[in-house]
Amino acid sequence: MKIRLLGFLVNIFVLFLGMASLLAPFIFPSARGAVAQTSTFPIMVGLIVVLCVLIILFEAQSAILETKMIALLGVLIAINAGIRFLENAIPGPAGFSPTFFLIILIGYFFGSRVGFLFGALTMLVSGLLTGGVGPWLPGQLITAGWVGQSAALLGLITRKLNLKNKISEVVLLAAFGALWGFLYGLIMNLWFWPFLAASSDQIFSQSLSVFENFQRYSAYYVATSLVWDLTRAIGNVLMIVFLANPVIKVLHRFHRRFSFTRLKADEA
Amino acid sequence: MNNINLEITPASLTLVTGSSGSGKSTLLKCINGLVPHFSGGSISGEIEVFNHDPIEEGPKGLVKTVSYVFQEPESQFVYDIVEDEIAFSLENFGISRDEMVKRIDLVLNKMGLSDIKGKKISHLSGGEKQKVAIASALVNQPRVLILDEPTSQLDPFTADALLNYIIFLKSKMDLTVLISEHRLERLLPYSDVIIHLTPQGEIISGPTQSVLHEMEQVPPIIKIARMLNVDPYPLTPKEFPNSHEMAYNEKSKATFDLIPSLQTPVLECRNVSTSINGKPILKRINFRLAKGEILVVHGPNGSGKTTLSRTLVGLQSSEGQIFLHGQDTKLLGTEDMVKEIGYLPQNPGDLLFAETVLDEIKITMNNHQLKYHEADLIEFLAQFGLNEKLTEYPRDLSVGERQRTALAAITVHRPNIIILDEPTRGMDYQNKSSLSKILTLWRDEGRSICLITHDVEFGAMLADRVLLLEEGEISFDGLPNIAYTKFPRYRTQTSLIFPNQNWITPGDISQIS
Amino acid sequence: MKHTASWILWLVLSLTLTLTTRNPFYLSFQILSLLLLGVYIAKQKHHAFWLSQNIRFLLTMLVISSLVNALFTHTGSTTLINLPDHWILVGGSITLESLIYGQINGLIIGAIFVAFNIINLALSIRQLTHLIPGALRPIAMTVTITLTFLPSIQQRAQEIKEAQLIRGNQMKKIRDWLPLLLPLLISSLENAISLSESMTSRGFETQSTGKITRLTLVSLILATFIIFSAWVLSLFDYPGFIILPLYAIGGGLVAVTFISASRKLRTTHFKKETWSKKDALSSGIFITTIIGTIILHQLGMLPTFYYSPYPGLSLPGLSLSGFLVISVLLFPMLVGKNDSI
Repeated sequence: MKIRLLGFLVNIFVLFLGMASLLAPFIFPSARGAVAQTSTFPIMVGLIVVLCVLIILFEAQSAILETKMIALLGVLIAINAGIRFLENAIPGPAGFSPTFFLIILIGYFFGSRVGFLFGALTMLVSGLLTGGVGPWLPGQLITAGWVGQSAALLGLITRKLNLKNKISEVVLLAAFGALWGFLYGLIMNLWFWPFLAASSDQIFSQSLSVFENFQRYSAYYVATSLVWDLTRAIGNVLMIVFLANPVIKVLHRFHRRFSFTRLKADEA
Repeated sequence: MNNINLEITPASLTLVTGSSGSGKSTLLKCINGLVPHFSGGSISGEIEVFNHDPIEEGPKGLVKTVSYVFQEPESQFVYDIVEDEIAFSLENFGISRDEMVKRIDLVLNKMGLSDIKGKKISHLSGGEKQKVAIASALVNQPRVLILDEPTSQLDPFTADALLNYIIFLKSKMDLTVLISEHRLERLLPYSDVIIHLTPQGEIISGPTQSVLHEMEQVPPIIKIARMLNVDPYPLTPKEFPNSHEMAYNEKSKATFDLIPSLQTPVLECRNVSTSINGKPILKRINFRLAKGEILVVHGPNGSGKTTLSRTLVGLQSSEGQIFLHGQDTKLLGTEDMVKEIGYLPQNPGDLLFAETVLDEIKITMNNHQLKYHEADLIEFLAQFGLNEKLTEYPRDLSVGERQRTALAAITVHRPNIIILDEPTRGMDYQNKSSLSKILTLWRDEGRSICLITHDVEFGAMLADRVLLLEEGEISFDGLPNIAYTKFPRYRTQTSLIFPNQNWITPGDISQIS
Repeated sequence: MKHTASWILWLVLSLTLTLTTRNPFYLSFQILSLLLLGVYIAKQKHHAFWLSQNIRFLLTMLVISSLVNALFTHTGSTTLINLPDHWILVGGSITLESLIYGQINGLIIGAIFVAFNIINLALSIRQLTHLIPGALRPIAMTVTITLTFLPSIQQRAQEIKEAQLIRGNQMKKIRDWLPLLLPLLISSLENAISLSESMTSRGFETQSTGKITRLTLVSLILATFIIFSAWVLSLFDYPGFIILPLYAIGGGLVAVTFISASRKLRTTHFKKETWSKKDALSSGIFITTIIGTIILHQLGMLPTFYYSPYPGLSLPGLSLSGFLVISVLLFPMLVGKNDSI
């Protein structure tokens, strides 16, 4: 129980720190900031987010100390990263990616630690494979990790309300998928936007209020990624509606084989 | 599994046989503690392996004494480079790097793998992969080597080579080897002990000859020995006393004079060529598939067998013409083609994903937008022996049942042509014989079957006509009794025992000599 | 030069240079150098489209960043056009200065991206995987397994797709993912079981060593908080003698935590990178340049590195030493002749 509490506190701390770093332009509007700070901004945010990711990885690692879980996770990530590269498996619109579908389901099914690991490591492997290692990667890791982690929360809710195997389970999951479709883009853009819009030293000056900053960010967001995120959200919803139930059933069948009761040698 | 009492002497070879799902793996996994420590379940009694107790110590305590090689090499690799993979267990033991390099070199040299040590595992052939798996097991210098169906994913030539190799390693490294295997004929001459698990759950164990006398499903050579009352059983064709004058069994398949009506073929290839990445695979292939025949296609790895089957169903683009019922397939859509052709892929698991066996069949009907009555489908499943398994999860079935489910799923819409790619891989004698019954039934119904296989014994049992592929060209197209006797590579055990006859299966030999 | 550490130092140098200057000429020169180096490595690695991919990206970045800045920021003395004031956010004067400022931003982003792209190009996936700290062995193992399984999963996916096609599945609707996804999932889960059996029987276990102590976690959290605080202070323009020591303490604590956590491991590594003389030489040069640049920058001795187009446009100053420092980035080309990675 103590460990659980510690884990909980760790995650709250990281959530706070990670969001504070990403939202710094809004939170510290009175910071004057030298001109050069604007360019170090994303790098520093990247660095702090890397540390945050490491903290959670350290904490979540306790969920995969069983060799079975390591193998399971490794193989599942390979599926998630591999599907992306399957040429014209099923045609879909731009921005449509099956990645989040599995992250949500794995987090929902296996709990918050495995959920975080699955989300974060999927992004890490994709980054390694596509040559996408860069300052943007930590943000992707932590956000995708949060997707899996929060899905576990949803799993807790459906268990408590006894909604498993009901239509409302799928509805909840779909709504959750839609929400993260947008939220992911929103958070990822936070990392990038100071580069573009916070460019003059004005952005950190007192002349702009939090509200004005927010207004600017909204405009930037609508202009750059709304369409993209919309496709992602719709894709998540469609995949969850059509595919979630059968996939969860398969996971259930295998869950038994991955968690077993250790036996004693009973004397006959 | 109940009440097993066994004693195995050091440096011996023990053969573990039995139908799929009879518990061979469970038995083997007891020896290194994976059962019960890894899989759960309950166990009673005692096991002792070189002064270790696997039940007490678990796999951790047995790591340095027992090494285990699993069925599919692909699913047990951790790293992607050969030498890294071999180093894995040494890394886990915390052995220093210098010592590691020494030990790995030693194993690589002994096993003749030095040339491929830096290669990517995914670029290796099936046989090489299995050798790497064995090398990674032997690098901890164990005293016991366990191999769980090491050849189930290999073609017969590679499998034979690998088994010879294991026998060679055993004598060279003074190993105690336990091996579970369907391909008995290769190992019989070398095995000291056989443990046979019967489908009824009994266990027969003892010296090779005595256990062979009690087994029901035996390789052709033992079948023939039984027919001719030769005792003790000869274990290789050479040991066979050749004084037996046998009359040809008139009741067996009329292979000699059956010439299928090739005038109106259901499927015909004219000058079909394909190339993959600029490399020619099939070179101007010409052949016909007649109504109501079983055409068996043999050929070594890389001869283009799989490409041929993919070309026939339109997955692989090709030059030349393919006619389906006299119509050029270039003018047909995929939908029309797949209605006429059923295709069983090498890995039948690729097809199955439904919740129940019955659902699996319904999915195919829906794919083809066909209407059905459930009763008809159940009746259809009966011919596969699956009518008792309607509501079971296909993945929980045995290997043979799984394959028959897949076979039902690709034939429920009654295609006239059925193509099977390596259907006997990893199958035991029993599953092979139920498969051959189904195929014979279909042939008698007038359907055409194209059977692509490495398994010459199985091919000889069924073939109406044989096609031999060699480097993308057809080197032979004709009757089975020629194919299986005149080409050294494809000779069956029966033809090896009776070199001067035209006999190719035990069924060709008359029981009333 | 092929050692991972040398390349990481190279990356730090490149980032340091990018982040200390806002002089568009220096930045352009840096990008040109990076592209040159990139083309050189891409040629060794037979990567055909590296240059065109990067140039396309750079151009997009320049256009977007100057447009965004020009539309959102209305300071500057040279007005190009006036947009109606009642237009939300974009209303006001569009100035040449803000356009230039946006362009400088674009150059900075571009330089960062290209530098990382060179790292992606120069280091193999395995080298990058080895950067995962030893204390995270279960996680490093997970990533390793993923990378090992990927080719076979892709091949399996292709086979399943074909098998289902011939079974009459049209593979057009979202629901048609099922016949692909489920068999892939099932067979992979079955794979995972036999893989873990194989790993267990070859002595792999993390139960006893993979556990992270509470102390490790707490000290890592503390370190992160210190670094975060230092950064926030720097946003409020606190002087360097307060901020830099904080960064040092935080960084040191991170390092100590990782080293002590990795100590517990009994496992050894077969793959070890060896230091060549070239690696050592280049690493030395990079470290010297990084430290030199930071110190000189803090002391205000790099005047030509500063530049701002506001309030009125002026020509940035240049000095030969600036160009020389940047050209250190090309050092891998000088030593790397005989290295085939």
